Amino acid sequence: MTSMTGSTVPASVKKSVTVRADVKKAFRVFTEDYDSWWPRSHHIGKSPMKKAIIEAKAGGRCYTEQEDGTECDWGQVLVWEPPRRLVIAWQITHEWGYQPDLAQSSEVEIRFTPVDSGTRVDLEHRHLERHGAGATAMRTAIDSEGGWGSLLQLFATRANQD
Amino acid sequence: MNTYQNAQFAALGDATRRAILARLAEEGPLAVGELANEFPVSRPAISQHLRVLKSAHLVIDRARGTRRLYAVNPDAIADLHKYFERFWTQALRAFKKKVEQDAKEA
Repeated sequence: MTSMTGSTVPASVKKSVTVRADVKKAFRVFTEDYDSWWPRSHHIGKSPMKKAIIEAKAGGRCYTEQEDGTECDWGQVLVWEPPRRLVIAWQITHEWGYQPDLAQSSEVEIRFTPVDSGTRVDLEHRHLERHGAGATAMRTAIDSEGGWGSLLQLFATRANQD
Repeated sequence: MNTYQNAQFAALGDATRRAILARLAEEGPLAVGELANEFPVSRPAISQHLRVLKSAHLVIDRARGTRRLYAVNPDAIADLHKYFERFWTQALRAFKKKVEQDAKEA
């Protein structure tokens, strides 16, 4: 990745988690009940987030409803294959605004696989390089005091306490 | 916010520089001439923009034979990667907690 010989293409972010629930249930909580677990600090609206929604269909909107009554799109369902697979376009610019151009958006694929103990959920966030020019500015926003980074820390602390 | 970050914001405040950076992120490393062919600005203007981007640590360069090639500073993308690593770890932890809480209640 630090080489000058090729273009700057970062590896995907890959994460897995195994949950004690069947595939149908895991998929449903991830999508239909998305509002119940999505970190409240994660939205790009101008006022606090009221509700987070993923529309259950290919081409469906991913958006949040804000307390001031506005709606904020941040993504789009690219693949809707319940209960096994879901791909979402991550349409957020480095200025935490909505990115209408899919060619400049990254993608998150989530796969649900039955295992003995329940369901393994494999998540891959790829094509991060499409955020291209914004990457450094995004880092600045992330690292700055009061940015998502510190909110995430607060969330992590709370989640760990429960 | 330190001066390094201020320089980055200033560098990104220009639409042509943002476009140059986006182009380098897609196709880099590229030489000045290759960039000049794609933008409606002169080659010296491209060079000037690259100097600003370089001084803000957004772009790195290296001599390749007689040419000088420019690329996006990979540290920027690496940090974006790190950020999402951390973000998804937390989000999936919250998801797991919710699924298993529901399963218990059912």
